[in-house]
Amino acid sequence: MSEVASHGQVGRGLLELEGLTRHYGPVTALDGLSFSVPAGEVVGFLGPNGAGKTTTMRAIFGLTDLEAGTVTWRGSPVGQAERRRFGYMPEERGLYPNMLVGEQLEYLGRLHGLSTSDAVAATAVWLERLELADRAKSKVEALSHGNQQRVQLAAALVHDPELLVLDEPLAGLDPTGIDAIGAVLVERARAGCCVLFSSHQLDLVEDLCESVTIIDHGRLVVAGKVDDLATSGPRRLVVRVEGDRQAAWAKGLAGVTVSESDGGAARLVLDESVDSDSVLRAAMAAGRVTEFTFERRRLSEVFREALA
Amino acid sequence: MKLALVLAIGGVVLALRLWRHRRRRSRAGGAGAPPRARSAAQPPLGDVGLVAAREVRERVRGRILRIGTLLMLAVVAAAIVIPVLDRGKASVQSVGVVGPLAAQLRADVVATGTKLSTSVRFVPEVSTASADRDLRSGRVDLVIVNARELRVNRAIATGDMSTTALLVRALANDLGVEEAFETAGLTAAQAAHLAGAKPVPVVSLQRAPPSGATTTTSVFGLILVFVMLQQYSTWILVGVMEEKASRVVEVLLATVRPIQLLTGKVLGIGIVAFAQATLIVAFALVLAEAVGSDLLRGTAPLALVSTFVWLLLGYSFYCWVYAAAGSMAERQEQVQSLAFPLVVPALVGYIVSLTVASSGSPTTFFEVLAYLPPTAPFAMPVLVGIGRATWWEFAASVVVSIVCTVAVAHLAARIYRRAILRTGRRVRLREVVSPASS
Repeated sequence: MSEVASHGQVGRGLLELEGLTRHYGPVTALDGLSFSVPAGEVVGFLGPNGAGKTTTMRAIFGLTDLEAGTVTWRGSPVGQAERRRFGYMPEERGLYPNMLVGEQLEYLGRLHGLSTSDAVAATAVWLERLELADRAKSKVEALSHGNQQRVQLAAALVHDPELLVLDEPLAGLDPTGIDAIGAVLVERARAGCCVLFSSHQLDLVEDLCESVTIIDHGRLVVAGKVDDLATSGPRRLVVRVEGDRQAAWAKGLAGVTVSESDGGAARLVLDESVDSDSVLRAAMAAGRVTEFTFERRRLSEVFREALA
Repeated sequence: MKLALVLAIGGVVLALRLWRHRRRRSRAGGAGAPPRARSAAQPPLGDVGLVAAREVRERVRGRILRIGTLLMLAVVAAAIVIPVLDRGKASVQSVGVVGPLAAQLRADVVATGTKLSTSVRFVPEVSTASADRDLRSGRVDLVIVNARELRVNRAIATGDMSTTALLVRALANDLGVEEAFETAGLTAAQAAHLAGAKPVPVVSLQRAPPSGATTTTSVFGLILVFVMLQQYSTWILVGVMEEKASRVVEVLLATVRPIQLLTGKVLGIGIVAFAQATLIVAFALVLAEAVGSDLLRGTAPLALVSTFVWLLLGYSFYCWVYAAAGSMAERQEQVQSLAFPLVVPALVGYIVSLTVASSGSPTTFFEVLAYLPPTAPFAMPVLVGIGRATWWEFAASVVVSIVCTVAVAHLAARIYRRAILRTGRRVRLREVVSPASS
């Protein structure tokens, strides 16, 4: 575990999960899971299938009975009044198939505490924002999968929540849909909302999220800023020397490991003691250097390493 | 009736609120920044009221309610109007006469017909042979030969209760007595004296069986209660199941408590149900009054009020049971297998009550049924209708029903809370009622 997210606690609210424990028969879903979600950030919630992500999200909304642990918002236990200010998009999408889109959103807005007129206005805003304004009078079941997904997101957003919890919001969407929903998530975070969403599309998570939390077997494995995780660990260099295809010049350098040499580009892992200038000098001595780049770790690498 | 009035007023108030909401909605301005949920004015019943209002709106909008109501109104209208029309048709018995028939005897025949609610038309016959031809052709119903013999086309069976059979039996007796008077040599005055004999009064220890009017009302009420309870219970069962199947329940329960969602659904469907019941009963009463039906004669109004009270109590009891069952299923075929055992007690109560409403003779078993909440909605109104329930027996049954309903609601809420989010397969009862399960 590299770092538990405790940074960026600006703007509104903070969600804290402490020691969440839940078993389903012999299966351990949550095993003392603890982490926090800072305000104003999009936090990716990652883990392999069965890691406990959905159970965690349901626990935030009181939809599963915990054997131990607490969920707090701004330091107070989460109750119905707090949940009224949260937005939730469950993994298995849930809307009334026969209800009109507009009325459905107004109804959910009212349940979250909006007045009738505010619910009507917010519904109009979000349908416009998600390019569904012309479908307000359609039944949900008449919409395409992508549009149903957008309505589901609007249902989570209609009351302008302080915390947005989304379980696989990007699953099954085409690139346009992903862009639209991704933009909304970033926009809400910029507006001060806490956004926690799960996904298996790690490249998208890397693009959208400031922070990630990775869990496995119901336990926290890694949490931190995406930038910090990408640059954490040993420094990695990509060096391309003209005419040198085997990176022979690097193999003799102390504290330098050649992880890969293919097509003229050598991928090097540097020990902490190694001065990168000395590596550059060695490369220049071997030939003309056409590339010398510090490489960031991809989130997928972080993920795989964390679960290894 | 007070209860019906209160429910009707409640329905009107709710309709007005919905109308006002719609007006406000139409006035609401265009898009701006999305409003934030902060201490907005909540409806009187809070989340329960919101859930109930949605149920009302969706049910009223649905075609099932409108078509169902129209069908029930048509059936009720037919049940009230057809008997009245039948009653209005005066049946006529054609009586062939062979040989002389004294004026007094003709008057006696007409009077006997009147007693049997039929009028008599005399057809002179020239001979017995021609009379027999008319009997065979159906031109006449019976023939009096020389005031000493009656002839009919077919033999009258012992159990035949047709007007012709009743008239033949009565006339055979009357003509026989007349012949006996003549044979005995009585004077006209003596014969008239004997003919005017009245039966002595009969004192009974038990009350008289119900009148035809009360029986009709009881049966009408029973059918109404049974059909409506089945309909409303099915709404609850399917409504809960559909929320679970569509997974919308997870979104809803993220902001409202299970008991609020359940209560709102039960209340919303209940409001629609009783608005429909009130409409049907009011329609029946107005129509019955307009066409002069027997529906409101004797103790019938009391039976009708009792029926309405028990419709309310029956719904209150069954709605929780069906809601709990609905929370355990997420497919239509699961609903059917869950509903069957729930229908059985209602069906038993309905059939036994129908039998007693017709016979007017309740057994001890039936009186026990009138105190059991699943069967009381059918049995107790029948006891009231046939005058076999005192006010305190009625009240005791109501109290038993209310207490049991509270207990059942408590258990149903527990089952609902534990079962509604368990998806993927049908939930078993023991999984959700045992104290350890969660």
